[in-house]
Amino acid sequence: MQPIPSFLQQQTRRTFFKHTGLAAGRIALASLMFPDLFRANASTVRARGHPVLPGLPHFAPKARHLIYLFMNGAPSQIDLWDYKPNLADLFDSDLPDSIRNGQRLTTMTSGQKRFPIAPSIYKFAPHGQCGTMVSELLPHTAQVVDDLAVIRTVYTEAINHDPASTYILTGNQIPGKPSVGAWLSYGLGSEAENLPAFVVMTPRWSAKRDAQALYQRLWGAGFLPSQHQGVALRANGDPVLYINNPPGVDGTARRTMLDGLAKLNEASFHRFGDPEIQTRIAQYEMAFRMQRSIPELTDISKEPQSVLDLYGPEVKQPGTFAASALLARRLIERGVRVVQLLHREWDHHGDLPRDLPLQCRDVDQACKGLIQDLRQRGLLDETLVVWGGEFGRTVYCQGELRRDNYGRDHHPRCYTMWMAGAGIKGGTVYGETDEFSYNIVRDPVHIRDINATILNLMGIDHNRLTYNFQGLDQKLTGTEAPAYPVKGILA
Amino acid sequence: MSHPSDIVLFFGHLHPLVVHLPIGLLILVALLELLALVPRFKQVNSNAGVILALVVPGAGVAALCGWLLSQAGGYQENLLHWHKWAGISTAIACAIAALFYRLNLKTAYRWCLFPSVILLVVAGHYGGSLTHGSDYFVRYAPAPFRSWFGTQPKAPPPQTNQVEMAQLNAFSGVIQPVLQQNCISCHGPEKSKGALRLDTFDGVAKGGKSGPAIVAGKAADSEILKRIRLPDTEDDHMPPNGKPQPSPEEIALLQWWLDAGASTDKKVGEMKASPRITQILAIKFGHPLPVAKTVAPKLLNDVLPQIAGLADELSVAITPLSPKDPWLQCNASIAGTNFGDAQLAKLAPIGPNLRWLDLAGTAITDAGLAQLAAMPNLTRLHLERTQLTDAGLAHVSGLNDLEYLNLYATGIADGGLDELEKMPKLKQLYLWQTKVSPAAGKAFTEARTDRDQLQRWQEEIEQLNAKIRDAHISVDLGTISPVIASTNAAAVNTQCPVSGKPVDPSKTVVHNGVLIAFCCDDCKAKFQQDPTPYLAKLESKKDPQPASK
Repeated sequence: MQPIPSFLQQQTRRTFFKHTGLAAGRIALASLMFPDLFRANASTVRARGHPVLPGLPHFAPKARHLIYLFMNGAPSQIDLWDYKPNLADLFDSDLPDSIRNGQRLTTMTSGQKRFPIAPSIYKFAPHGQCGTMVSELLPHTAQVVDDLAVIRTVYTEAINHDPASTYILTGNQIPGKPSVGAWLSYGLGSEAENLPAFVVMTPRWSAKRDAQALYQRLWGAGFLPSQHQGVALRANGDPVLYINNPPGVDGTARRTMLDGLAKLNEASFHRFGDPEIQTRIAQYEMAFRMQRSIPELTDISKEPQSVLDLYGPEVKQPGTFAASALLARRLIERGVRVVQLLHREWDHHGDLPRDLPLQCRDVDQACKGLIQDLRQRGLLDETLVVWGGEFGRTVYCQGELRRDNYGRDHHPRCYTMWMAGAGIKGGTVYGETDEFSYNIVRDPVHIRDINATILNLMGIDHNRLTYNFQGLDQKLTGTEAPAYPVKGILA
Repeated sequence: MSHPSDIVLFFGHLHPLVVHLPIGLLILVALLELLALVPRFKQVNSNAGVILALVVPGAGVAALCGWLLSQAGGYQENLLHWHKWAGISTAIACAIAALFYRLNLKTAYRWCLFPSVILLVVAGHYGGSLTHGSDYFVRYAPAPFRSWFGTQPKAPPPQTNQVEMAQLNAFSGVIQPVLQQNCISCHGPEKSKGALRLDTFDGVAKGGKSGPAIVAGKAADSEILKRIRLPDTEDDHMPPNGKPQPSPEEIALLQWWLDAGASTDKKVGEMKASPRITQILAIKFGHPLPVAKTVAPKLLNDVLPQIAGLADELSVAITPLSPKDPWLQCNASIAGTNFGDAQLAKLAPIGPNLRWLDLAGTAITDAGLAQLAAMPNLTRLHLERTQLTDAGLAHVSGLNDLEYLNLYATGIADGGLDELEKMPKLKQLYLWQTKVSPAAGKAFTEARTDRDQLQRWQEEIEQLNAKIRDAHISVDLGTISPVIASTNAAAVNTQCPVSGKPVDPSKTVVHNGVLIAFCCDDCKAKFQQDPTPYLAKLESKKDPQPASK
């Protein structure tokens, strides 16, 4: 927070015209749409949440909530979902040039002399009524495979973690764009009075410690008003810092202080007209209400043992993926629109057989538990669950290939994600990759299409949810190429 | 009685065919003889002998066929007895009359002829009764004449309304008319084919030669329903192919009654009825269907001004479902226990516009749900984690559009399900952490599953699949061997593409599936080294006949 530069920024000619122009337009529009509102009291700052944009949702939504399970680092589709039995015979043989086709590689393997094929050492078996092939590493998720639509042909252009994660979660490889959750918060508004519309959790992981970093921009608001950014709950200790009043300050004193602060902020809003001041007032109020709501949210002592058992043994340890998944359910029950879990360390360049099972154990049972828990509560009909990473992993080995050990490099040309819940046709397998899980044979799905599908299920036409920034009507799916919801997985 | 052989039955079934010709002829002879009594027409009977010569063998054959038919059994003994002996007597009387005629004993002949006509009428009457039922003639007689025939005055057609329908005896009021309509002509008082009578409950319960016709409580195991559901090409299908068949609605009623225990004294109102059964009953008894209470929603723009204030006042979220429709969704669960009956009542002004309503975890009570009457267009309703009990469901069951109902962690018990059975569109019901027993849940699912409809759709799918298979045409040209250009095949060119000289047909090359000829081996070698420069030449000089690709 640097008051002087931000003050100077507010006072530029451009911001002045931009804000007054926008404000005048908004008032005109709002007075057309809500005449009664204006007769009453137009100048009061809305303390409670924020409303849905006029005209949204564009059509009746299938999903009211989104739970996005992001596997940061890129899980290996070959070892988990994309079953390639014929590779076993090709152990240590070279990946045919006709398959790689001169495609660019990361600098981690571009210097390799050969690209020996590393078949998955994990057994696959058909599961559920649909018979989808699932790896033995995901025995629990396999039990709910009839609820999943497994998309085997997601692809992206980015080949490194930072741009790739930024790409799928904000629609652009270059930082600065709003995240999926921020767009949904902006478009559909916030329902929960005591909780933000978009909550993020970054559960801890079990495999090696040096995991890819996460960035605040992955759940940031970009150019949207900053109240739409995801609020990250901490994995360790108190989920929200300073949630308790310091010694000597009671609730009344806190309230009085905030009221005074709000008056000052309002005065400065009337003077400068910067909407970010309103955001700040709203955030203070939200924080005050979260002082009550967060302890109640994180108190799972009333959860029946049968429910805790669904998520697995780690559910009672705060900060685990299982505990976060349970919190995700509790959050959407309390009206939070988007909950995103970012689980790190899926980047297995080497020693994949050592690390991947640990990572799977972290999330596997909790994924199943979440789906089963949502279903028995009737929430799976209204909640979209998305699972996946930022890209896939190569069929060829990075580093030394042994019968029992191998590593895989980044592979953007195809990977697997799954969706479940509201509006999703369960038991579906969408798309087909070649024999090497290297290229897409049928039904490619760009990560733009994934985002278009998410918006579609939430009742939004991705082409019509836009925000004018830098002279462009920006949107989550970008303006460079068309995007389409994946019709084949919609119920 | 052992079952007669097919050949016996074949000739037996000719009885109705052969019997009517001698009847007509006999009556004709009798008429001619009557007419001859008038002096002016006394010649008209001169050909009676010829006709009598046809009557006698005809009557004999008809009687014989009739006797064979009677071997099939299943006719009411009494009627059959009289018909048989009257028929045989008629034949014998005809024969005697013919004999007297032949002996020229005209008076004796006439005294024999007229009684034979009387016998004929008697035989005909019993025959008609056997085939069409004993009250066939008088069934539709006008009221003043009915008493002449000893027939009961006709009952007025039932004018049943919903309340009376509930009081109607399920067997005598619903099932018996179905049996009457479809079964009695062969399994009734006159005919009881297969020793089965379906005109009384005792007959139904006793069954026939194939065992009991019904298994109380198990429609699927009941012979009568099994037979009805057999494909009509099967011999055992009932009613037999060609006879009027019961409608799907009638079959559904029969199944409903059997599944409910096949009772003779239960009233319609005492038996559980799925929405389909209720509908069938309503239509069958001329009762107008309960008209869904549709209250048209207001225009979205008319309610929008209200919702912001309402949402703020009640601390709930109210948002449109889409700008194209008037529908609203309301999430009151975010207000928690601050939201109760009084708050729900305040939603009434926008009630007809509400499509989704989330009352999960609110302080709503059974009595408060009466407010739902103001929200008749709801499709999704969350009532989980509330104090709701079975009593409150009475207010829910009136929501005819409701598709999704969440009742987990409430006080609902088995009894509450009865209320929900009436809801026509309900598709998803959540009952986790309630007192509803698994058995009741299963029974509810079963009651709401229209097996007949599913089976009909399954049959439709099979028929469509068959059509799809039929629509495919398979054309087999045998195994096509790859085109190998032999020296026999004609080259596409007559001029060498390299030298321009006339070609030698033995010096050829296959290029891109086309046979190209050259003048000499040198030219051929040049072409094979690099065909490109010569192809253009070839293209322009190629013979007009098209090259095969």
